[in-house]
Amino acid sequence: MASALRPTLLLQALAAPSSRLTTSALPAFRSQQHFLRRAPIALQQATFQTSSRRAILPPLPQRMEGTVNDAVHLPPSDPSHGNYHWTFERLISAAILPITIAPFAAGSLSPLLDGTFIGLIIVHTYIGFQSVIADYLPKWRVPFWRKVADWTNLLAVVVVGWGWYEFETNDVGLTEGVRRIWKAGSKVEGTA
Amino acid sequence: MALRLASRRLALASATAPAPRIFTRGMASTLEHSKGEPLSTVSEALSATRPPVPPSKTTTIKEPEPEKQSKIKTFHIYRWNPDEPSSKPKMQSYTLDLNKTGPMMLDALIRIKNEVDPTLTFRRSCREGICGSCAMNIDGVNTLACLCRIPTETTKESRIYPLPHTYVVKDLVPDLTQFYKQYKSIKPYLQRSTPPPDGREYRQSHEDRRKLDGLYECILCACCSTSCPSYWWNQEEYLGPAVLLQSYRWIADSRDEKTEQRKDALNNSMTLYRCHTILNCSRTCPKGLNPALAIAEIKKSLAFA
Repeated sequence: MASALRPTLLLQALAAPSSRLTTSALPAFRSQQHFLRRAPIALQQATFQTSSRRAILPPLPQRMEGTVNDAVHLPPSDPSHGNYHWTFERLISAAILPITIAPFAAGSLSPLLDGTFIGLIIVHTYIGFQSVIADYLPKWRVPFWRKVADWTNLLAVVVVGWGWYEFETNDVGLTEGVRRIWKAGSKVEGTA
Repeated sequence: MALRLASRRLALASATAPAPRIFTRGMASTLEHSKGEPLSTVSEALSATRPPVPPSKTTTIKEPEPEKQSKIKTFHIYRWNPDEPSSKPKMQSYTLDLNKTGPMMLDALIRIKNEVDPTLTFRRSCREGICGSCAMNIDGVNTLACLCRIPTETTKESRIYPLPHTYVVKDLVPDLTQFYKQYKSIKPYLQRSTPPPDGREYRQSHEDRRKLDGLYECILCACCSTSCPSYWWNQEEYLGPAVLLQSYRWIADSRDEKTEQRKDALNNSMTLYRCHTILNCSRTCPKGLNPALAIAEIKKSLAFA
């Protein structure tokens, strides 16, 4: 929709009294007039831009390691970030399934089960965010922000883990909490 | 969006009653644009940019008068010329009568190049889906132009782009250097140190041979790799579905003796495990193969080894 409106706006801008244009005191506008006079085609193309370009990690110029006939360099074997990590992640995902369903059938069994459930979810989330960080913040390109994101992820695990510990020990705990929220509306209806 | 609408209202209000010029600038703004990148803006403004060339001016030979039965279809094709590096890529439209064109997209492209615009550039070789040269993005799907039928509805216009997220050499020709360098890194050849037992050839059982079905047919057209978002973001480190499928082709080969080394080479966080089973690769493969399954098999063999 916005693109359909833009040409009319441009016409209005061009039809604006030129005396105002030339007497513009702001240097920024003077530079814009410069473009108006010098390169109307460039202006036309600029109107296709809906907003200022702020690409996150824009593609770099093409760069080649070695010649076209050299193979790319594969990093050394690292099982703790490779197959051990993947197997661990799959096992945790599989373990979460029964432990999610169990409280529906049996209710709040013990704080220990609750604790296991929360622990697994936190680890699962940590690995998930780790994966997102590895995808979008390549170490070779943004080493600083990668490090910041990795440590923030770890900090989140500690903070969230502490929060759940408080909730489990000083309050009703996760399963009971969900049960109460689930039945919160029905109690009100029952009294009314 | 709300912000844009607000600015539009402002702009309309100022059109009727003269307001300070700062409010007349609506959605399109060269100033805001120049704030981030002054250099590129200046170069864009000063360079000779080509306006889109209408099809009437690019045609060297006039299409014959449309007959009553003619089925005229429009093709929009991505154009970029490295000889004019400062001008932006553009879409160019061509119209063809489908009755005089072969059934496949490649036939249409060849006809455009022969009869309408000889500057149109694309790769093609075998025209029967065995060489993988004519891989491109047709109507939003990575496929081989020679295996892609032209939709016969003439109301729908076709759009043809080079493979996504590749460096473009010219028009529809992508630069696949990185792809081939990655292919080389997995050592795509038989590695053995022991001679064959009968001294003649390396024999395979029927079962072992059957494991290679669905793997050996890959023609390395790069359709799957360039459709994978994980490969778009991390093609410097992640190998991509096509190369991983080839890697599994050698891991699964019963005659190869370097299976463990091959698996070890993939065992790190980037090379293999950036695959998040998005499955774009299996969906787009013009040969009907399943790279995602091959990657899953590699992961399985690594996990329980």
